Amino acid sequence: MSKALPEDHSTVRTDPVSVDEAVVAIDSFSLWYGGFKALKSVSLTVPRGQVTALIGASGCGKSTLLRSINRMNDLVDGVRTEGRVLYEGHELYSVGVDPVEVRRRVGMVFQKPNPFPKSIFDNVAFGPRLTGRTSDLGAVVERALKDAALWDEVHGNLKGSAFGLSGGQQQRLCIARALATEPAVLLMDEPTSALDPIATDRIERLIADLKGKYTVIIVTHNMQQAGRVSDRTAFMHLGTLVEEGPTDQIFTAPKHELTERYVSGRFG
Amino acid sequence: MRAARGRRLRGRAFHAAVAVPTVLALALLAALMLELLSDTVSWQVVEPRGSGETFSFLDGFSITSSWEKVVTLELAARGSDQAEIDALIRDPEERRKFAARNRVELMLWADGKPLRWVVTGSRDVLVQDRGLLEGWRQRGELSAGLKPGQHLYLNPWLDISFFTKSASRTPLMAGLAPALLGSLWIIGLVMLIAVPLGVGAAIYLEEYAGDNAFTRLLEVNLRNLAGVPSIVYGILGLTVFVRLLGLGPVILAAALTLSLLVVPVVVIASREGIRGVPNSLRQAAYGLGATRSQVVFRVVLPAALSSVVTGVILAVARALGETAPLLVIGAAVFVPGLPNGPLAQYTALPIQIYTWVGENEREFAHVASAGIVVLLAVLSLLYGAAFWLRRKYEKRW
Repeated sequence: MSKALPEDHSTVRTDPVSVDEAVVAIDSFSLWYGGFKALKSVSLTVPRGQVTALIGASGCGKSTLLRSINRMNDLVDGVRTEGRVLYEGHELYSVGVDPVEVRRRVGMVFQKPNPFPKSIFDNVAFGPRLTGRTSDLGAVVERALKDAALWDEVHGNLKGSAFGLSGGQQQRLCIARALATEPAVLLMDEPTSALDPIATDRIERLIADLKGKYTVIIVTHNMQQAGRVSDRTAFMHLGTLVEEGPTDQIFTAPKHELTERYVSGRFG
Repeated sequence: MRAARGRRLRGRAFHAAVAVPTVLALALLAALMLELLSDTVSWQVVEPRGSGETFSFLDGFSITSSWEKVVTLELAARGSDQAEIDALIRDPEERRKFAARNRVELMLWADGKPLRWVVTGSRDVLVQDRGLLEGWRQRGELSAGLKPGQHLYLNPWLDISFFTKSASRTPLMAGLAPALLGSLWIIGLVMLIAVPLGVGAAIYLEEYAGDNAFTRLLEVNLRNLAGVPSIVYGILGLTVFVRLLGLGPVILAAALTLSLLVVPVVVIASREGIRGVPNSLRQAAYGLGATRSQVVFRVVLPAALSSVVTGVILAVARALGETAPLLVIGAAVFVPGLPNGPLAQYTALPIQIYTWVGENEREFAHVASAGIVVLLAVLSLLYGAAFWLRRKYEKRW
């Protein structure tokens, strides 16, 4: 294992997206869990309507970075942050920003499918109902399920329990649930790590379909997956962002030595 | 080989050692139930006497008329001659029997003037009373010894009328109505008080309060409170609700005291349920933009509902069976009417049973048994409901 990068490292960037074009712009963002510094001054811009993959070894901070974008880390005791995260130009960590509001605009899909113990319909309608929406829920649910490529499989059984679905279907249900709140950005934290290859393929095709309509940021352990689904890739190592650029370039011609070693499978 | 055989034998011995107490316990339980059930039925030899009219005496009676005078007229009206009447009034044993079979009441007008004396009571005169098994063994002798007009029949003490009859000093007239209604009132109020309090405390402790010295102290105290002997709660209830708040021995005081007693049960069961809800569900809800209270009320509580409901049912069952605190805070032994509100005097199922067991007359044993069977049946229903709910709503995550 190579040495940790110094704190004042500079990220190697290829064709970076300008802050003006970015949906999410992370600017010198650091995060501490108690005394442990999990993110060390990370800066990253995420292009609109594209898929950005975060890769890196376990514990490198990629999930922490992802959860910083919808302030899920606020739920952990003893978290402290420094720096800025901009969403559509709004600073997410300034005083007076309600994390609940942030999470309504930045959806999230988790590692393991976690449907609520409710019916399929109630799962998808959960988000809209939180804001008191009661009209045309049926249309909202239908659109979300269609966007998540699940409608054809479940439309006859919307009242059935979500637990009756297979693992892959449950994960697509979770994606539909996230889409029902009409977020602009969808965060995915290793969404296929608990699924078999066929279900994984189904989700990957879904991510390709979501592209354009939604901005997707996906954390993955699986480098083939990053290569297949993403437009841009960011490689993290021990809390720092080492290199970011177009996916093709990261996988075929990485500029940083650590990236090269990681994508060629020599560590991680 | 030998070692393996030894291990197998030891395993079997252990198996037997744990199986025997279980079988023994079940056998004892079955014996208890049989004994109780057989006690609720008795063989009786009775002598029917007329159709049980109500005799009213409007003339010649004042409110101060003596019991003897009333009974004499009553018996004369039923067709007894003077010699029989005198014999009855002289013989204390006969008097006791008559008093046990009949009720002599003074009815008053609303303004307090006497309306009439009414003598009501069983139409039949009881000659003999035998338990179910004893009566079965002696049924030959009993039916052979029947005098003309007498007959032998099986009296089920636990029949429909048992639930509608009021308290009475006469075993045949004694029923469960006031106790049943009193218990229902108490349980209803206990649920109204203990469920919001207990579930609320559980939600606060699990979802809002952090892990600090205060919550740890609360935790220890809750576990301790759940184990405090119920009589202690009775004394607390007597001091605080009956005396300090001046409620007196009424249903509300009983409900408040029993609520204190069962709140820890509700809190502990609800906390277990809430703790069993996987964190991933909370994360999912937060991720969709739910506020903390939305997470609690739309995700956590519904998911923990089966545990919460089970806890509530167990708490109700406990409140239903508690006797000691009610004795301390003054449940009435004899309630003339039916309780009609939270501020009425009351009696409850276990108190009523306790009273019946202490009665002199032998036939009250049957009445007490019938009461115990009803109490056990209600408790079994509650436990059964808890078990069924747990099975039905058991969550697979």
